Amino acid sequence: MNYKRGDILVMIMALSLVAALFATLWGDSRRGEEVRILAGDKQLALVSLSGHREIRVDGPLGTSTLEIDNGRIRFADSPCANKVCVHDGWASRGGEVVACLPNRVSVAILGGEYRFDAINF
Amino acid sequence: MNRVVQTTAEDYRIAWLTALAITIHILESALPSPLPGFKPGLANVIVIVVLVSYGWRAAAWVSLLRVLVGSLLAGTFLSPTFLLSLSGALASVLILALASALSRWLPRWGAGPLGYSVLAAMAHMAGQFAVAYAVFIPHAALLNLLPILMCAALIFGMLSGMIAAAMISRITTRS
Repeated sequence: MNYKRGDILVMIMALSLVAALFATLWGDSRRGEEVRILAGDKQLALVSLSGHREIRVDGPLGTSTLEIDNGRIRFADSPCANKVCVHDGWASRGGEVVACLPNRVSVAILGGEYRFDAINF
Repeated sequence: MNRVVQTTAEDYRIAWLTALAITIHILESALPSPLPGFKPGLANVIVIVVLVSYGWRAAAWVSLLRVLVGSLLAGTFLSPTFLLSLSGALASVLILALASALSRWLPRWGAGPLGYSVLAAMAHMAGQFAVAYAVFIPHAALLNLLPILMCAALIFGMLSGMIAAAMISRITTRS
């Protein structure tokens, strides 16, 4: 069997189409766009998740440092004892929440497609 | 007024080849399938062989008649299955028209059975999917299936393309 040049062309196009479909439809479509920062029960700010910056939030124990990095956010530093919030790591998906209960600071990501309807602890 | 329907040799050829495609289609529908509506589409081997040997018009006839008669035999005529099958066949016939016209226009870059088969299989799946999405299940979650379905279409298209190429080379060496 000999294959023509057009066959190779078609194969290349077909493979790249399938690859593009996997990349776009199986990519992370659930990324959030904004993050809501709460201190105590007050909403401090609604910030965009784009770019890179640090945000300092004051709580009863001291200052928590939040780090935003191209669509994700984390607690970079916290004055609390256990540092559960810091160990939680990066959050990027809509509906994800990271909280530092001792310092009463929490961040909740808005937008994107929520992975869960509700979460109960 | 009395009109006699004249049948040509080409009509007979199309009828025979369509019968072959229908037989393969019916046999294939008896095979178990991992996913509903998920079939290798081996009947398309015949469509590709016809396209390469007798041209696009004959291939379009075989493809669309296969859908019509196949659905009558399987009892799915005018059902959702039939609609999906028909939209897939129409999409693949259209892309084959485009591809064979391009092959005639630029013979150096023309496609052979393998290329035609992959194009037809992917167009068939895409057409079916578009109708399924637009008419039956307009939900974003369906889109998650599209990459897998198109990947399967690519693999099965390659497979039937190779079978078609082997068939064509046997037919041409024998005659």
